[in-house]
Amino acid sequence: MNDRVTRFAAPLLLLAALAAGVLVSSDLDIADPDPEAVDELQAVLSGLEDGTAVLVGFDPDVGTYAEVRPTVRTLIAELAGRGMDISMVSLTPEGRALALAERDRAERLAPDAPAVADLGFVPGAEAALVTVASAIAGTSEVATPTGTAALDGIGLIVVVGGNDLGPRSWVEQVLPRIDAVPVIAITPISLLPEVEPYRQSGQLAAVIATPRDGAAYRLAADLGPYADLGDAGGGPAALAIVIGLLAAIAWLGEILVRRIAPALAARPERDRS
Amino acid sequence: MNGLGGADGIATLVAAIATIVVLGGLLGERRVFGWSQHLFAGLVTGYLVLLAITEVIVPRIVVPLAEAPGDRIELWLAAGLVVSAAGAPWLPRLVSAVPISIAVGALAAFALGGAVIGTILPQVTATLVRPDVDVTTTVSMAAAVVVTGLVLIGFVHGAPRGRIVGGAASLGRWLMLGGIGGWLGYLLFSRLVLLVDRVSFLVGDWLGLGR
Repeated sequence: MNDRVTRFAAPLLLLAALAAGVLVSSDLDIADPDPEAVDELQAVLSGLEDGTAVLVGFDPDVGTYAEVRPTVRTLIAELAGRGMDISMVSLTPEGRALALAERDRAERLAPDAPAVADLGFVPGAEAALVTVASAIAGTSEVATPTGTAALDGIGLIVVVGGNDLGPRSWVEQVLPRIDAVPVIAITPISLLPEVEPYRQSGQLAAVIATPRDGAAYRLAADLGPYADLGDAGGGPAALAIVIGLLAAIAWLGEILVRRIAPALAARPERDRS
Repeated sequence: MNGLGGADGIATLVAAIATIVVLGGLLGERRVFGWSQHLFAGLVTGYLVLLAITEVIVPRIVVPLAEAPGDRIELWLAAGLVVSAAGAPWLPRLVSAVPISIAVGALAAFALGGAVIGTILPQVTATLVRPDVDVTTTVSMAAAVVVTGLVLIGFVHGAPRGRIVGGAASLGRWLMLGGIGGWLGYLLFSRLVLLVDRVSFLVGDWLGLGR
């Protein structure tokens, strides 16, 4: 009976507590954000002229997209606010689906904003990246759903990572084939060990690893006229996160006690014998 | 409810039901959860077929061949190889394996070349060339070397070892456990963000509470 109650009641209680946390608390905020990642990103953006062509490599993972989504929307809003000419390309099917959803949302929320150009889905994994790199270098064009597009004026590449073809693939396949176009990346924190060496070596001009750097960036971003495109209320509720962490600690503690208890109970008998 | 109408309302309702069904897996409701997995697999398959037709086969093969059939010999050749490999199972394996071999070989070549030119060489260069070496950097690098050494010693099993090596191995294992624990903490936080996002969706976008 106890087991059954625990099995059903505990998840229900957790969900109810998370819902309450979502309702009563504000978005995740950082009291003392580490400014380094955000400063690097802002330095890159400040170095661009209005109207610069920005290519967004949009290949997040469906499973972890919720983690990067508010930050991605905020960056797109900032780029649109700065008058950048944004194009989106996807190299994975799930990235393509999410890119279409984001384009639809942008058109719905800010119909007067400059449209995000759709370069579609380029098949071929690494070979597709080479095709995109050739287009950026000006030696070829990339096929789009409506024809072909030249990408030789691209001034910034934003890689939304999470999938197999993330920042590492762009650094490996695109950077050696183009001249001095800065590449910045937005990735879930699980990819941080993979992308951090590229940031430190300067191959990636900036890396925003969510949720930590994402929360710091959303605080500092200047969204300009298209603030609706950003996801100001999209960050995780702080109290709900705390409740979740406490629940996880309690769960792990319960497992630990269950494992240690038999050993502790057996010890006096051993000592007696 | 959230007051959304039309397609948005229906999409939100479907997403909410799917979310509840998946969260129902927490309570042990496996049957409906299993149906949702089948639904998801079917949707993904349909989406992939649609994507392949509308964004790959038609614009990249059919249209170029229809517009300038004489100019794209390589496309005819590739399409012929793929079609014959897929549609003629009686062909010798030597022939049917050609398109797959080309695809695998090209991908491997791109990946390997990219790894050498884009990762190994620049990373080695960045590691070797450090114009701004200060005390902090030196201490950090020394600590990294020591920690790496201790963790590697932690993997020494079966070899005879004295008290010092045994102590170092034990310290190395604890360091590794600490690192893995820290990393799991990061992941736990990250996954909690995803769970809270789903709960926020149900509470805010679907039920319209707190808006």
